[in-house]
Amino acid sequence: MDARSLSVVKIREILIVTLPSDPDDSTVAALQEKVLMSMERHQAKGVVLDLSAVETLDSFFARTVAETAQMIGIMGGRTIVVGMRPAVAITTTQIGLALGSIETALTVDRALDRVMQLSGPFQ
Amino acid sequence: MSTALEGELVIRTEGDIVATRHTVREVATQIGFGITDVTRIVTAASELARNVYKYGGGGIVRWRRVASQERSGIELQFIDQGPGIADISKALEMGYSTGHGLGLGLPAAKRLMDELEIQSDPGKGTCVTLKKWRAH
Repeated sequence: MDARSLSVVKIREILIVTLPSDPDDSTVAALQEKVLMSMERHQAKGVVLDLSAVETLDSFFARTVAETAQMIGIMGGRTIVVGMRPAVAITTTQIGLALGSIETALTVDRALDRVMQLSGPFQ
Repeated sequence: MSTALEGELVIRTEGDIVATRHTVREVATQIGFGITDVTRIVTAASELARNVYKYGGGGIVRWRRVASQERSGIELQFIDQGPGIADISKALEMGYSTGHGLGLGLPAAKRLMDELEIQSDPGKGTCVTLKKWRAH
């Protein structure tokens, strides 16, 4: 995948959005609209935001992710952020960015299990 | 090809923010920082490159390896000829912004780096110097 482009894949009623490793600000800004439009088009129940490729999550990028999750919520969807790298998690927390209220999972598989309600304890 | 341990890059477009991240990542890695510190340094650089681009009307980033007898590290300087910062202590407060941004850039950089120094003349520009030392 291109280092800047965003991929949106639909699996059943879930959108899997893979964020690029090093997007420019325009690509980050386009994230919200692209994801919300896809939600409407596919009547998706939830969105899995895959950050596993992301190497740098600065305040602008982190805020966009948090806002996107909020907007998906307003549209009636659920967001699970997955795959955050350890160094990115440490850095983001150290900056004090408010990602704490976002639902997270370690991997896409686990997020899918949860959203599709296949795994009892996590429902 | 390896990036020189001292150099500068012009920040004039949004793409230059990405270029700054790439270059700083390479330099910090070459200096020997581990992945967590590299991520901290690159994140701080991203915040300040965006400030230069958005508020300073463009400028430059300079990087160099710094060393003394006991330690080594990286120094980054972000220089613009923009409007400058009238109240530096306010600019370092979380959430303080003159109107456009989040007001997170400078405080974030301060938390992630070991040293941060701001020189600013209102009307003439700003120079932010950041340092990070390698842990022993």
